[in-house]
Amino acid sequence: VGQPEMAAYLTHQQKVLRLYKKSLRHLESWCIYRDKYRYFACLLRERFDKNKDVKDMVKATELLKAGEEEFWANQHPQPYIFPDSPGGTSYERYECYKIPEWCLDYWHPSEKAMYPDYFAKREQWKKLQRESWDKEIKQLEEETPADGPKTEALPPARKEGHLPPLWWQYVTRPREIPM
Amino acid sequence: MEPTLLFNVSMLITMTIIITPMLLPLLSKKLQNSPTTITHTVKTAFLTSLVPTMLFMHSGMESIISHWEWKFIMNFKIPLSLKMDQYSTMFLPIALFVTWSILQFATWYMASEPYITKFFSYLLMFMIAMLTLTIANNMFLLFIGWEGVGIMSFLLIGWWQGRAEANTAALQAVLYNRIGDIGLILSMAWLASSMNTWEIQQTFSTTQTPTLPLLGLILAATGKSAQFGLHPWLPAAMEGPTPVSALLHSSTMVVAGIFLLIRTHPLLANNQTALSLCLSLGALSTLFAATCALTQNDIKKIIAFSTSSQLGLMMVTIGLNLPQLAFLHISTHAFFKAMLFLCSGSIIHNLNGGQDIRKMGCLQKMLPTTTSCLTIGNLALMGTPFLAGFYSKDLIIEKLNTSYLNTWALFLTLLATTFTATYSLGMTLLVQTGYTRMITMPSMNENNPTITNPITRLALGSIMAGLLITSYITPTKTPPMTMPTLTKTAAIIITMLGIILALELANTTHTLTQPKQNTYLNFSSTLGYFNYLTHRLSSMKLLNNGQKIASHLIDLSWYKKMGPEGLADLQLMAAKTSTTLHTGLIKTYLGTFALSILIIMLST
Repeated sequence: VGQPEMAAYLTHQQKVLRLYKKSLRHLESWCIYRDKYRYFACLLRERFDKNKDVKDMVKATELLKAGEEEFWANQHPQPYIFPDSPGGTSYERYECYKIPEWCLDYWHPSEKAMYPDYFAKREQWKKLQRESWDKEIKQLEEETPADGPKTEALPPARKEGHLPPLWWQYVTRPREIPM
Repeated sequence: MEPTLLFNVSMLITMTIIITPMLLPLLSKKLQNSPTTITHTVKTAFLTSLVPTMLFMHSGMESIISHWEWKFIMNFKIPLSLKMDQYSTMFLPIALFVTWSILQFATWYMASEPYITKFFSYLLMFMIAMLTLTIANNMFLLFIGWEGVGIMSFLLIGWWQGRAEANTAALQAVLYNRIGDIGLILSMAWLASSMNTWEIQQTFSTTQTPTLPLLGLILAATGKSAQFGLHPWLPAAMEGPTPVSALLHSSTMVVAGIFLLIRTHPLLANNQTALSLCLSLGALSTLFAATCALTQNDIKKIIAFSTSSQLGLMMVTIGLNLPQLAFLHISTHAFFKAMLFLCSGSIIHNLNGGQDIRKMGCLQKMLPTTTSCLTIGNLALMGTPFLAGFYSKDLIIEKLNTSYLNTWALFLTLLATTFTATYSLGMTLLVQTGYTRMITMPSMNENNPTITNPITRLALGSIMAGLLITSYITPTKTPPMTMPTLTKTAAIIITMLGIILALELANTTHTLTQPKQNTYLNFSSTLGYFNYLTHRLSSMKLLNNGQKIASHLIDLSWYKKMGPEGLADLQLMAAKTSTTLHTGLIKTYLGTFALSILIIMLST
C-alpha cells in the first residue's frame, strides 16, 4: 500500500519502458562522465524513438526481444545500484533495529510513562483493530476471485464506517531508517 | 628505577589498562562504559606502551616473562609467558595508536547507532585478543589470541545482522579462518610431540625442520592473511562498518598470519621448500589481488584488494627469509591503510552512504582535508620516495631483484606493483578530480575535529613512521649494498609505468567510444571467477560425499551388500544354478544313477 502493486502480467508498453530504463542505467555504469553518457543516451533514445509508432504487435515483440538480447550482451558486470536498493550497500542495513509493534505491549510502566499520549490512545486503537478484523476478512473473502487473487493490490473500504482490509500492518509499520 | 623492572611493569600496565573497561562494569553498576571512556583508555594505553618502546630503542632491551603455569600434565609445561622482543615492542604502540585514531573516528561515524557502546566494547575485545597474540611467547596463548580475533571479526562484520550479505560475509570469514586454524593446530600438535614445548624460543634449532608442520603454519597464514586460495573473505568483509574494516581488515587482524610466520621464522629459515612456497604464494596473491582491484568501483573494495595485495607482498618477504623487513612493512602499512579507510569512511558518510566511485568527483573542493590525506595515503601505498611505504616496499623489491630466486615470482611482484600504482591513481582521479557526478547534493561537513584529528594524526604517521622505525632499529641481516642502477631504480620506474597506465586509461574513458565487455574485464570483475567456481562446488561435493558415506557406504554396503542380503544373494545364485538339475523326469534320475555307478566302477 502506498507503492505500486503488482498485477499478473505486464503490458507491452511497460516492458519497453523497463528495457529503456535498464539500458540507460547500465549505460550510466559504463560511461562514467556525464557528457559522454549524455551523448550515448541521446543515441539510445533515438533508437527507441525510431520504432515508437510500430502498430504491428508481432513486429513490436520481435523488436523488443532483439533489444533484450542486445541488452544482455552489453550489460555491465557491476552495474551501479543505489545504496538503499536491493543489492546496494545499505539495503536492509537497519532491519535489525525494526522491532514489531507488539513489543510495545511489553514495555515497563515507567517506560510507558515517558510517552503518555501515545499509550493513552493505543488501547483504543487496538480495540478498533479487534473489532474491524472480522469485517476486513469478510470483505477480502468476498472480493477475491475463485482461483486466487489477480493482483497484489488490496481493495479499499467499500461500506460506510468500515476500514480498509489489513490497515493495521500498514499503519504500524516501522520507519525506513529507525534511528 | 631499574630498566628491566620499568620495561616489564609498563608493558603489564598497558595490558591492564586495555582490560580495565571490560572488567569495571562487571564490578559495579555505576561504572558503565561509554565511547569516550573507551577512546581515552586506549589513548592512555598507547602513551604507556611508548615506555617499553623507548627503552628498546635506547638499549635494545628485550624480555620474556613467565607467569603462572597451567599444571595440566606432568611432562608438558604450558606457562603464561609473554615475550617483548623487537616485534612486540614496536607493534604495541603502533597498533594502539591506530586503534586510538580509529576509535575517535568511530565516535563520529557510529554516532547514530543505538548500541554504540556494545560496538566499542567489541572493538576493545578485539584489541585485547590481538595484543595477546602479539606478546604471546607460548603457542597456546597465541592460539587463544588467534581464535579471539577470528570470533571478534565474525561479530563485527555481521554488526548489522539484518542484512543478508553481512551474515554471509561473516560466515565466510569464520569458515575460511577455520580452514587455516586446522593448519595451526596440526603444527602445534607436531611441536608438542617432537619438541615437547610450546614456547617459541625453545623450538628453534639449527637442524632442518620437516616440511609438514611448516606447511601447517603456512596454511594458517593463508587463512588468516587472505593469501590466494583462502582469500574471498577479505573483500566480503567490507560489509562491516568502516571502523571495523579500518582496524581489523587492514592494520591488525590480517597481519596476524604474517606475524605468526615472523615469530616462527627460524623454523622456516632452513627449509628451502617452505620458503619457496611462501614466495610463490605471496607473489600469486599480490598479483591476483592487484588485478581484481583494477576494475572495482566500490571504494572500500578497492582498498580491501589493496590490503590483500600488500599482504601478498609481506608473504613474499617471508619467502625471501627477511622477517624484519616484513615486520617493517606491517608497521608502515598499518598507518596508511587505516588512514585510507578512515578517509573513505568520511567520504561515505558525507555522501549519505554512497560508496561507488562512479558517483563521486570533485571532492577536493568539498572535503579538502580528507582528500589531501587520501592522496598522502595513496602516495605512501605506491612507495613514493621518503614517505612511509618507501622504506619497506623499495627495500623488498631491491632484495627481490638481487636474490637468486625464481624470476616468475619477481615478475609477478613487479607487475603487481605497477597495478598498485594504477588503481591507486585511478581511484584518486575518479574520487577527487573532475566535475562532480553525485546523485544528490548532500550537506558535506568535515569540520568536526573528531574526523580531522585522527586522519591528520595518521597522515603524520604515514609520512614519518618509515623514517623513524628504520632509524632506530638495527637490521639483523645486511641489506644489499651494491646493485646496478636499473635494479636500484626498478621500483620507481615500474611505479611510473603504472601511473602512465592509469593516465592512459583515464584518457580513454573520456573518448567517445562505447565500452563493452571483454574477457579481461570479466575476469577482473568477477574476481577471477574464484567465488563462483569454489563456493558451490566444494561445499556441494563435501556434503554429497558425506551423505554418500553415511547412507551408501554404511547403510547400503555394510548392512545390506556385505551383510545379510549379500549372503542371501550368493545363496540364491547357487540355488538357481542347481535347480536346473531338479527336472522331475525319471529319465534324468535313472541317468544320474547310471552315471554314478559308472564312475564308481571306473574308479575302483
